[in-house]
Amino acid sequence: MDLTLVKLALAGLAVLGCIGLFFGIGLAVAANRFAVEVNPKVEEVLDILAGAQ
Amino acid sequence: MKTTTVKNVLVCVLALLGLLLLSGCGQEHPFVQKTAFKDTSSIVIKFAGPVDEGRAKDISNYTVYEKPDPDIKLKISQVELSPDKRTLTLTFERELNQKQPHMISIKEINSEGRSLGSAFVSVKKLYLGYLFSVLIGAMLINNFVFSKYLGLCVFFGTSQKKSTAVGMGITFTIVMVFSAMMAWFLYQFVLKPYRLDFLQIVVFIGLVSLSVQAVDTILRKLNPVLFKAFGVYLVLVIANCIIIAVPLTLAANEYNAMESLMLALGAGVGFLIALFLMASVRERLELANVPPTYRGLPIAFVVAGLFALAFLGFSGMSIF
Repeated sequence: MDLTLVKLALAGLAVLGCIGLFFGIGLAVAANRFAVEVNPKVEEVLDILAGAQ
Repeated sequence: MKTTTVKNVLVCVLALLGLLLLSGCGQEHPFVQKTAFKDTSSIVIKFAGPVDEGRAKDISNYTVYEKPDPDIKLKISQVELSPDKRTLTLTFERELNQKQPHMISIKEINSEGRSLGSAFVSVKKLYLGYLFSVLIGAMLINNFVFSKYLGLCVFFGTSQKKSTAVGMGITFTIVMVFSAMMAWFLYQFVLKPYRLDFLQIVVFIGLVSLSVQAVDTILRKLNPVLFKAFGVYLVLVIANCIIIAVPLTLAANEYNAMESLMLALGAGVGFLIALFLMASVRERLELANVPPTYRGLPIAFVVAGLFALAFLGFSGMSIF
């Protein structure tokens, strides 16, 4: 196995992982900051309904 | 409410300025002030100070090529230096294709006995005009729907009513600009330095879904009215192939920030135009007497083909 290729694969994994982690945290923070209160009754009613459509 | 709008506008203006600055500071050499095309077959280089005549007049010091083909070196027939030794004119054996940006590498610039190192500079014709041609090119001449046949599923799905078409087009343009700018940044500053270009498709797909999710989350809170109008189409944007074609194009062509912005904007507005035109025709087709076999999607495909033929009229057109 060529060492440079192994290095490239590891770098790819690391960079992709970092990008994923960074944006994942970003999205989580955004979801937290811009949270919209939803009436919990909406979900309850939706659960009771048949939900065929 | 008013102060927040003012704040938003300010932030937008600042972001645009930042982009301009980013595109302005390239890898150009500090001693080279200006480069420009002159007549049909010359390039003029202006230096910040006088350069030494002996070195500057040596033809073998210069290598010039068109940006897309670095292997084809252009032959220089003459090098002239102006009397104040600040302006250099390179004359070529053949006419230059001024639509393409050219790259010049100058070996060892010497000014008043001091060596200033080698320079690697680009020559482009009228930058703002070039940006405009990228915009119009993506919008009309190489319209993604009508001349590249991309994004057809969403195109046929949302072009039944004018209001839907406009909503989809605007949402699409916003997400497009957003994700293309991020894709440009990641490609130039992360993927290329680590030689991970082969991961571009994976990264760009992730970026698209990320920007869609981000716009969804933020819009839901900040502007519920707008969210109600556009929220339905937001999810559809992910399923559009134009949104992945644009980052791939800008990566393949090595566009800079402003060019990428123009390409994304052009692609978005071009899609909006295509949707609106199609929706206008399809609204009228509802009333027309179409043979039963052709009703619905088949006639829409025929109309799209006719539109593509009409857009063929733009092909080969060049601006500036």
